[in-house]
Amino acid sequence: MKIATMFSDIWQSLWQRPVTQKYPFERKEAPDRLRGKLHWNPENCTGCALCNKDCPANAIEVITIDKKEKRFVMRYHLDRCTYCAQCVESCRFSCIELSDKEWELASTHKQPFTVYYGNEDDLNEFMAKFTQPESEPTPQ
Amino acid sequence: MTAVISPKKEKFIIPIGPQHPALKEPGHFEFAVDGEIVTEATVRLGYVHRGIEKGAEARNWTQNLYLVERICGICSHIHALTYALGVEVLAEVEVPPRAQAIRVLVAELERIHSHLLWFGVAAHEAGFDTLFMYSWRDRETIMDILEALTGNRVNYSANVLGGVKFDISDEQRKVILDGLDFLEKRTHHYLDVATSDGMFLQRTRGIGITRLQDAQRLGIVGPTARASGVMRDVRVDAPYAAYDMFPINIVVETAGDLEARFVVRLKELFESFRLVREILDNLPPGDLQAKRFPRRIKPGEVISRVEAPRGEVFYYIRSNGSDMPERVKVRTPTLCNMASVLSLAVGHHLADMPMLLVGIDPCFSCNDRGVSICSSQGEHGRWTWERLRQFGIDYYANKV
Repeated sequence: MKIATMFSDIWQSLWQRPVTQKYPFERKEAPDRLRGKLHWNPENCTGCALCNKDCPANAIEVITIDKKEKRFVMRYHLDRCTYCAQCVESCRFSCIELSDKEWELASTHKQPFTVYYGNEDDLNEFMAKFTQPESEPTPQ
Repeated sequence: MTAVISPKKEKFIIPIGPQHPALKEPGHFEFAVDGEIVTEATVRLGYVHRGIEKGAEARNWTQNLYLVERICGICSHIHALTYALGVEVLAEVEVPPRAQAIRVLVAELERIHSHLLWFGVAAHEAGFDTLFMYSWRDRETIMDILEALTGNRVNYSANVLGGVKFDISDEQRKVILDGLDFLEKRTHHYLDVATSDGMFLQRTRGIGITRLQDAQRLGIVGPTARASGVMRDVRVDAPYAAYDMFPINIVVETAGDLEARFVVRLKELFESFRLVREILDNLPPGDLQAKRFPRRIKPGEVISRVEAPRGEVFYYIRSNGSDMPERVKVRTPTLCNMASVLSLAVGHHLADMPMLLVGIDPCFSCNDRGVSICSSQGEHGRWTWERLRQFGIDYYANKV
């Protein structure tokens, strides 16, 4: 029976730097497969809305502007997204990808959590038709 | 140890929890004590019931894969795997062998992470914080591997219905192997610490001895049962995914005390290291996903069982032909093992209670499921909210 079996660990650690990172000052590079913010490319989208149906968190809304001309807009809710990448799997036309660079997504305001994707014309039309300018809650 | 039952009528009850009963999860325990010795123990669970089973009935088959993944934060892949395996049987979809092997690979990496996490928590409960810090430092290796492999530290989302999302590149293979070499060296050291450190052994050796017949009678599962000599492991008894291609050896100890539980879990780590290396060397070729997975699944029911790091996870899934399950029933290993804490508590010192509790590697969030009430009058079935409310009012009125 021994006592202080971990003494060697402690002794070695005296000569090592701490393993913890000073996060905001030192950033470790994120792995290539990291699942970050969603990006949508409207070019190949057929509006099947499978991404919408399969999303476990209802974070994706595919909104039809004109079905015949295949004009769609995506409203993406960052705050609901669980970053599971099921939408990437569900999309048969590879329109969706999750960024491995954008993962620091916290915000003190609500507005940045709703992201709109689409062609400029479609977005303008959609904004004019369907949305009212959102009022930011005034900080107390 | 023998139970010391107080002849006095009045009992001194020490409540522990619901906040922070040894672990950072809610559960309420009441220990009646005679001096320092526990004479009675009761548990109350259900503080983190989240209605996941009911929620599963309102989501489609694919969405549920991610819902069940969130039943447990530590063994998340295992829950998704159990669900996916069950749904794939229902849908009669053949999963490619490469996908099954990658599923097993992630499951074993997750087991390494879970056992190291438990090892640290158990050391912390024993008052051995040095061991806790070092084992958690080393656990970061496996977390980084899992993040590089799957894209997230927890809730890996490795599964899709009919396969997996990613392949393993040569670079990742090297990172995994290097990480495992380091962890294997460290695990040898930890096994030495857990079996030879005099002060640590005072908290574990001869404490909470569960005999084989007791373990069988109480229906204990997982490493807790294997520490009492129960030769039971779903990976061997009913091989799922790729465990028929890559068999494991059961690790069994016979002592049944807390030390044996440490030894079983640490030796299981070696088995996991071996299996991960074997899978990486012999990864079967082929696709990662089945060609097509139906959105609607024909009526039927299935039982799916998987060996989680804590023991057997049990899923019952029923389909009525729609794109949503009619019922998903989950039973997690902590609920099976909770009986052992209560039966072992009697006769032990109060100070041993945190160690006994942590010895089963409890996960309260996993085990809080809905229950159906069977009254003493033989009445079964669901209660309405109004009925439950009235029951509560009557219960407290009668109590006073």
